[in-house]
Amino acid sequence: MPEGSILSDDFLRELINVGEVDILVGLPTYNDAKTVAQVVQAIRAGLLNYFPRQRAAIINVDGGSRDASQDLVRAASISDLQHLSNIHALRTLHCISTRYEGGPASGTALRTVLSAAELLRAKVCAVFSADSTNTEPEWINRLLSPVVMDNYDLITPTYRRNKFDGMLVQNLVYPMNRAVYSKRIREPYPTEFAFSGRLGSHFAAQDIWSQDVGKEGAGIYLTIAAITGNFRLGQSFIGTKARVDTGAADLVRAMRQTVGVLFWSLDPNFAVWSSNGASESVPTFGAESDLTLEPLRVNRKRLFQMFALGVAELEPVLKSILEPSTVEELQRAAAVGEESFRYSDELWVRTIYEFAASYHKQVMNRDHIVQALAPLYRGRAFTFLAENRDASAEEVETKVEGLCREFENRKPYLLGMWNERK
Amino acid sequence: MVLPQDVLWYKDAVIYQVHVRTFYDSSGDGIGDFRGLAQKLDYLQDLGINAIWLMPFFPSPLRDDGYDIAEYRSVHPTYGTLDDFKTFLDAAHQRGIRVIIEMVLNHTSDQHPWFQESRSSRDNPRRDWYVWSDTDNRYRGTRIIFLDTELSNWAWDPVSKQYYWHRFFSHQPDLNYDNPVVREEMWSVMRFWLDMGVDGFRLDAVPYLVEREGTNCENLPETHSILKELRSKLDQTYPGKMLLAEANQWPADLRPYFGEGDEFHMAFHFPLMPRMFMGLKLEDRKPITEILQQTPEIPSACQWCLFLRNHDELTLEMVTDMERDYMYDEYARDKGMRLNLGIRRRLAPLLDNDRRRIELMNGMLMSLPGTPILYYGDEIGMGDNIYLGDRNGVRTPMQWNGGWNGGFSNADPESLYSPLMLNPVYGFQAVNVLSQKRFDHSLLSWMKRIIEIRKSTPVFGRGSIQFLYPANHRVLAYVREYGKDSILVVNNLSSSAQAVELDLRKYKGNILIEMFGRNIFPRIGELPYLLTMGPYQFYWFRLRKI
Repeated sequence: MPEGSILSDDFLRELINVGEVDILVGLPTYNDAKTVAQVVQAIRAGLLNYFPRQRAAIINVDGGSRDASQDLVRAASISDLQHLSNIHALRTLHCISTRYEGGPASGTALRTVLSAAELLRAKVCAVFSADSTNTEPEWINRLLSPVVMDNYDLITPTYRRNKFDGMLVQNLVYPMNRAVYSKRIREPYPTEFAFSGRLGSHFAAQDIWSQDVGKEGAGIYLTIAAITGNFRLGQSFIGTKARVDTGAADLVRAMRQTVGVLFWSLDPNFAVWSSNGASESVPTFGAESDLTLEPLRVNRKRLFQMFALGVAELEPVLKSILEPSTVEELQRAAAVGEESFRYSDELWVRTIYEFAASYHKQVMNRDHIVQALAPLYRGRAFTFLAENRDASAEEVETKVEGLCREFENRKPYLLGMWNERK
Repeated sequence: MVLPQDVLWYKDAVIYQVHVRTFYDSSGDGIGDFRGLAQKLDYLQDLGINAIWLMPFFPSPLRDDGYDIAEYRSVHPTYGTLDDFKTFLDAAHQRGIRVIIEMVLNHTSDQHPWFQESRSSRDNPRRDWYVWSDTDNRYRGTRIIFLDTELSNWAWDPVSKQYYWHRFFSHQPDLNYDNPVVREEMWSVMRFWLDMGVDGFRLDAVPYLVEREGTNCENLPETHSILKELRSKLDQTYPGKMLLAEANQWPADLRPYFGEGDEFHMAFHFPLMPRMFMGLKLEDRKPITEILQQTPEIPSACQWCLFLRNHDELTLEMVTDMERDYMYDEYARDKGMRLNLGIRRRLAPLLDNDRRRIELMNGMLMSLPGTPILYYGDEIGMGDNIYLGDRNGVRTPMQWNGGWNGGFSNADPESLYSPLMLNPVYGFQAVNVLSQKRFDHSLLSWMKRIIEIRKSTPVFGRGSIQFLYPANHRVLAYVREYGKDSILVVNNLSSSAQAVELDLRKYKGNILIEMFGRNIFPRIGELPYLLTMGPYQFYWFRLRKI
């Protein structure tokens, strides 16, 4: 890799061959051979069906797969050398691949996609996740059409979810992002999204890429940058998303990539979020939310145990981060036992805002702050599960909306703490 | 000048397509004629073409621009006399220019005496010279070609009270080729012109000669038998004469028209032409290489005829619906530009009068495997007039100079067979031969140069082709080889500069000599050969091992 560049010479040579494009689809991979072929074929079919005349390319950015992920993407190319009798395409479609070192990093992958998009002068870009097992060609249409046809700058998806799926998003990322940045974007940290070349260039120019946020949390920061940059935002419903079950997710990593970035973003964007008003909805194509009610097995008991253990073991840390009254309330709550325990909306919002303020004031290592939030989130997740066990989709939606309002109503509390000396 | 005796002359030809009516009016009646055409042979010789394809010049009611022939052994009086034609023919031959004439085998005008006799009564001896029926339900599997004007391939004849068969306009009844007398008569017509000295025939609408129930009445074995019979007679009596097939078909369906080298010498490659325009607009070689990959091998004595534009619409019959929609949107947004399943426009307006694109398209025309045909006026970039009906917008008078009637005729402008092009971009005062002759860098001068270079080697007319498929899909590259000669052709289909790496290891050690400027490029080594190309630029390199 040439010094100071994230693009290898081989990849640059491939980009030269691709040339200027109208649409660029980025596809980060890491050992996704089981699913990536289906994903890339769905993307290709979507491009051929819905954008047959546009110049398009699919760019795979691989984090060092040891399987055939890269080859499977390359094989989807359409050219005069690869004869696919069932494919009718006006144009050549390049599917190219590049690899970066150091293991999977969503930010590095996104930055590579953005760099390629800028070099190829892509008018519209999209990013798809390679671990989905049900990617549909229609997703290309739903995500890209508003950008291609109606000049939107960012289209995030809305999904048909199980009511207990995406609890971190429902309990924290969506409500806090909405309260702080005043835009009701249901999936601020999407794995599939589309954006304009204009937004891509704006985002690529952000001074984040050498920092942790740029390496791991660029996904949500793209949404934040689009909001704070006054870009044109929209959402599009793409339906159910299924993915390969890879076992328990790494909660701390997920929190770093979402909450950590959200907290981090508050400093550079203080002028924006401190002065904006009530939240606004964004244009939505299709349903904004669609919850399903199938039973989902979650070990609630374990969640409560981890919460209680965290409150006890992290007491000194929590005392540095939270107000004394908040710590006391948490300790009281942890002591009542699983049956009676509830982590109320009001206490949860207060907890989050106090964490955000402490993150701002750097009361300790910022990563430790984010890590300390993990057990508390488990307590909140326990409560969400308990309260909504028998709830209808509408009732769950009402609860989430109530939490969002709590975040919005208590925003002055965050502002008040922001400049307060510790 | 004595014409070269090579029987494969058509492989090395550069053909100029012209309608006598459009070229030069020597009599002052507003219509071009053979004496006028003869006067302009020096111009054509100077241009460098070595064959002329004449559109129909026979007596005709001219309801289909002469493709409705009313007398096969004569010249339409407005174009002159048979003697005038003979004079023109001899003068062309003296300049080394061969003459190919149009022969419409499939049908006649309904004004032809044969049809007048045939329709006069059901028991007329010429009744079965045409295809008659009591019902219009026969041959229902046959498509209608002129969709914009015809509802059926049958037309009712109120005189003899039967339907007659016509694949084109209803005033063009099809001859009945199941009748041996008809076949013999048409061969007799061809002999008439061969005896006079013409060098070949462009046989119009050949797929449709024979009709059979339960088929689409196109490309039938019986049709091929008739054509083979004609070819056999031609070879026996007139060696060195050439037959060119007009059959708007897919390459695989066209292949049988070459037979085993015993049917047609040449055939138009219809599907390639729209794909050249498509590839240019898409900035992607895929449409071009794909159709050429689908093009079957043809016998060694046979040849494809390539063209960019002609007297008809830019036909989009041999493309998919998706491709046709794309072509319409990109090249014929104004619906007035569309006709039947095609686009009735000339080359220069199709390419937005962009000199670079015009040169690139002509460069491909001259370097892809086949014999190129230039449509009159395209060598100076003439425009079209879509407000004239049918395909008349691409058949306006040749623009010789900026003076009276563009130098085409001394007649009153109102009496010309067609209005002149007058607009400030394409009008005769802006685009004409005289003004372009004066400048070395005019389109006309450039066309002369490329024709000269094309003719400087037999490779383009006779050589094999090997595509290179560089990873940059905007670049179309191929090597033409014939004997010891090899020529590398590289075309940038893109509107922007491109870098391309070519795998030329097979030619390692050769140096490249650019054929227009004769400049030397670096020797080919082991590494991919890197070329940078300007927008729409093309190179022809002679490969030399020195």
